[in-house]
Amino acid sequence: MNQVGSVFFALMAGLSLLGAVGTVSARNPIRSAVGLLVTIVGIAGLFLRLSAQFMGAIQLIVYAGAVVVLFVFVVMLLGPDASKVPAGPPRGWAARAFAGVLMAAFAIGGGVLVLGARDGLTLFQPVAPEHGSVELVGRELFTKMLVPFELATALLIVAVVGAIAVARSHEPKGKAKPVKLAPQALFHGPLHPRDAGHPLVKERA
Amino acid sequence: MQTLGLAVEHYVFLAGVIFTLGAIGFLVRRNVLVQLMCIELMLNAVNILLVAFNRVYPANMVGQIFAFFIIAVAAAEAAVGLAIVLAFYRLKGTVMSDEGDSLKL
Amino acid sequence: MEALLSLFPKDDLTLLAFIVLLPLVGAVVNGIFGKRLGREAVTLMGLTAIGGAFLLSVAAFLILFEAQHESERAVRLVWHGWEWLKLSGPGGAPVTLTVALSVDALSGTMALVVTGVGFLIHLYSWKYMEEDPGYHRFFAYLNLFIFSMLVLILGDSLPVLFVGWEGVGLCSYLLIGFWFDGEANASAGKKAFITNRIGDFGLLVAMGLMLRNVGALDWNGLEQGRGNLMEGMQIIQQIGWLGMKSPVVVNTATLVGLALFLGCAGKSAQLPLYVWLPDAMAGPTPVSALIHAATMVTAGVYLVCRLSFVFVLSPAAMLVVAFVGAATALLAASIAFAQNDIKKVLAYSTVSQLGYMFLGVGVGAFTAGFFHVITHAFFKACLFLGAGSVIHAMHARIHDTDTSQDMRFMGGLRKYLPITFLTFAASWAAIVGFPGTSGFFSKDAILLSAFSSSIVPPQTAVSAPGGPMDVFLWPTWAGSVLYAMGLAGAVMTAFYMTRLFIGIFFGEFRGWKIVKGWKEPEHAHGHDHHHAHETPGPGMKGPSPHESPWQMWVPLAILGALALVAGLVNAHLIGIHLFDHWLEPVFATANQGVKTKGELAEGPFLGAAVAAFAVGVGGAYWVYVTQKGAPAKALAEGSPGLYALVRDKWRIDELYEETFIGAVDSLAEIAVVFDKWVVDGIIARVTAFVVSLGGTILRAAQTGRVQAYAFTMVLGLGGIGWFFVAPHTDYRLRADERNGQYTVALTPGAGYTYRWDETGDGKWDDKEFGPKRELKFALDADKSQKVRFQVRNGFGRVRTGELLVHRPKVDKSGADPSAMEAVTPEMRAAASAAGLKVVAPNRPPPKIPPQPGLLPVPPGQVHP
Repeated sequence: MNQVGSVFFALMAGLSLLGAVGTVSARNPIRSAVGLLVTIVGIAGLFLRLSAQFMGAIQLIVYAGAVVVLFVFVVMLLGPDASKVPAGPPRGWAARAFAGVLMAAFAIGGGVLVLGARDGLTLFQPVAPEHGSVELVGRELFTKMLVPFELATALLIVAVVGAIAVARSHEPKGKAKPVKLAPQALFHGPLHPRDAGHPLVKERA
Repeated sequence: MQTLGLAVEHYVFLAGVIFTLGAIGFLVRRNVLVQLMCIELMLNAVNILLVAFNRVYPANMVGQIFAFFIIAVAAAEAAVGLAIVLAFYRLKGTVMSDEGDSLKL
Repeated sequence: MEALLSLFPKDDLTLLAFIVLLPLVGAVVNGIFGKRLGREAVTLMGLTAIGGAFLLSVAAFLILFEAQHESERAVRLVWHGWEWLKLSGPGGAPVTLTVALSVDALSGTMALVVTGVGFLIHLYSWKYMEEDPGYHRFFAYLNLFIFSMLVLILGDSLPVLFVGWEGVGLCSYLLIGFWFDGEANASAGKKAFITNRIGDFGLLVAMGLMLRNVGALDWNGLEQGRGNLMEGMQIIQQIGWLGMKSPVVVNTATLVGLALFLGCAGKSAQLPLYVWLPDAMAGPTPVSALIHAATMVTAGVYLVCRLSFVFVLSPAAMLVVAFVGAATALLAASIAFAQNDIKKVLAYSTVSQLGYMFLGVGVGAFTAGFFHVITHAFFKACLFLGAGSVIHAMHARIHDTDTSQDMRFMGGLRKYLPITFLTFAASWAAIVGFPGTSGFFSKDAILLSAFSSSIVPPQTAVSAPGGPMDVFLWPTWAGSVLYAMGLAGAVMTAFYMTRLFIGIFFGEFRGWKIVKGWKEPEHAHGHDHHHAHETPGPGMKGPSPHESPWQMWVPLAILGALALVAGLVNAHLIGIHLFDHWLEPVFATANQGVKTKGELAEGPFLGAAVAAFAVGVGGAYWVYVTQKGAPAKALAEGSPGLYALVRDKWRIDELYEETFIGAVDSLAEIAVVFDKWVVDGIIARVTAFVVSLGGTILRAAQTGRVQAYAFTMVLGLGGIGWFFVAPHTDYRLRADERNGQYTVALTPGAGYTYRWDETGDGKWDDKEFGPKRELKFALDADKSQKVRFQVRNGFGRVRTGELLVHRPKVDKSGADPSAMEAVTPEMRAAASAAGLKVVAPNRPPPKIPPQPGLLPVPPGQVHP
């Protein structure tokens, strides 16, 4: 069992790392999105290993199922411009490289300090089987954490409204006259005027 | 699940590496979409940390619940952030974050 | 009379304060409310103020007269005002300056003249300035001037005199530039004031020297302490590389005399500071009459008379005074020969006559000089007012200022201005020295004294640094030279004044063609000044010139009469010495230093004076009446360069412009460059540059790009990381000094453990790190202890700190009786058993550390 657990951990950890590296270094944003997806799946596996079943499921549903899809949609909307890189040497690459190096230095230094200070590993102890179950988390969520839960709801609604407000096109009214169709046209001809004349579209009765 | 031999330090190290990768990616990459994805990476790294420590101190479920809320907020933030990217694209015609320098003095 | 006396006690004559106060009140009322009060009220206020001052001056004079009759010595009636300043005099002794007014024979007479002539001129101005929109302002300034002049005359000390001195300078500036929208007028006012100020520098230096040596600045104090001024003073040290053998040492009395004379030269328009007086004619004619003829310019002579006892200490200074006076008299007279503006002729005549006054007082004839002041006041004021009357008549047709005053367009006015003519004639007679007039007597007295009088110092040698020094003695040739200069001046005066007289009143009228009943054309009123393009002459038509109203010719008449008869108070040729006797006590001290050459026959001098008059008047008559001005024209055409030079006042103004004023201008240019480049450069440009440089540097961080901001966050992350990773050893020390309890508390932190070393010996109290955060320990008085501590944080990093705690000594040296040993009942019992008394323990006095400069105080002495 030990070995399986460790192998599983190593597999999932490796997957996450691979995905993270792919996200950061891919030229094409679609490839970055795929890398993100791989990371998320890896992390979901780690959650499972950590007895956080509920979290793992949520991770897959929300992150992999919604957020990454959202990213992919936007890349699709942008079309080729999403990955267009302007010509010439990148502007200010030295500053950005320096920033990256500095961040790496802080991270490595911090890591050495923190992990070096620990005397001995803190091994995981066995836990109760309900740890991380839907019932347990749900009970906490709806009793002790009810207020944050409701606030999160409000937050999501606000986010939706905000996204719509920001992302809608602000064309002045009256630019494109909507095509007025008689109600019968719904049952005759192509579904959309632009499909008229397409060889595969048959006239409907 | 019974586990032995694995320690929380492994998870801390992993979370640190993913976080660092996300941070470096955010600082280095110019594409706004990739920057947003790097933000998601950083959030996920924090989630790993929280859940791992919750496993070590299982007295209450705060760690996992906190991670739950982080996921919710990350989702909302991704939605709004992508809407902003669309508006930015409509304005500048590109998604290079260098182009967004209207606050330059 | 007795009632008057009882009102004003002799020892504190408040009357003097009122004499001075009335014109001030008039000035303030007219100045502030004049516009609202209207012409009549302003006139009433102005005239009553001066008239009242005149009456009060008469009263003061009578009081003084009676007091002087009863006394042998000079009587001075004083009004004590208030204390002004405390200064330090010789040897550090304090000198108090008080504001006080006093009147004696000299100032009493002067006050009468000033207020009397002032009143007449105010009366004259009523009509002369009638049309002027600044009427109230004019009367306010005139009253202010009379106030300042009275302060000058009646002041009991030099500082009060100086206040009046400056005040008349100010009023002179205000009145010369009365029509200030004309640039020439404003410049003339400025010139007068600035030239005056150059002289005032001399007066201040003299005051300083007198304060330093004598230690008093009031007349009594100066008269008594004047001997202290006879000492040598080094003014330039020995400069070896210039080849000087010894430092330059000068008698202080000479310095004082010269400095005072510099002030007089500025105020009374002598060489080299006379240049402002001719320009001052830009002011209205009553101003010229009052200020620049009768009163202000004589302030210098008054000062010399007032400080006569100081001047006679130094024959050198007096010689300078006399020679400068004589030279000025000649120079000004020469310029007057070629002037055509009647006011300018009178101005130069004033300068010339002032030279005579200084000649008189310079040789020690104070009474003669002062007598000339008074007679000059009468006849010069009358001449100026008469000129004003003539200009008034010319103005009716010629509106341009310069042309209406030009002699070449006058002539034959005696037909049209009879009263003016008569009064002018009376004054003319006085100034040219017509025998029997006041001017004749006063000028003759001066000339006689110039020849016969000399100054004898009280001691022939004075002490000086570097050995005793000889005093400069009056040269024997001075008398003859001065007399010759004076006589020549008298001839020239007679000549040019007769030229003026003839030019205005005799011959044919050259201004315009007189047409009976000529009326000013209607359209001309619109553009008055365009009349200037009509040149006066036979081509111009106009009405007959008219005589002035009574407010203008009554003062003329009074002054003219005085000009004729006032000489009789001191007609020494027929043995009347009233004025001499009146002023004798005042100059008693000074006259000790004046020596007159034995008994001189007065005949030759009388003859010379009459001859001067005859030659001058006759010559002018011959040139201008008999020959119709031909010789003058021939002379002018024959030497055009000389004529131009004389007409241009010997180009002295231009010389000053080039040298002194040019030097100051260059200095100003340098200052401008310095200001623009150095001061502005450093203060404005450099600071602006530094600020903008800082801005440019800081702006580099504001790129607007989100990644740059993220980078800043990374830096902040590093800072926070450092804060958490590094252990902190800040501590707080709580001290209870009375008991000696100390507590050291270290800061708490996440995962912090501590280790202490209480004794500071290097060995830790406890090898393990523990959670003990505070350390308590006790100290004895005046003891120190070293405490060491180590802090270890959650990351295992360790930091050491140490601390030295010192408890100060308890202060037992204060007079705290409770700290002393109490006298216990046992001690008392023991003492009484031994037959002794208990005395409080003898405390030694506190030791005062020796301070430099202070003598140690022996015990038992009380500090004052």
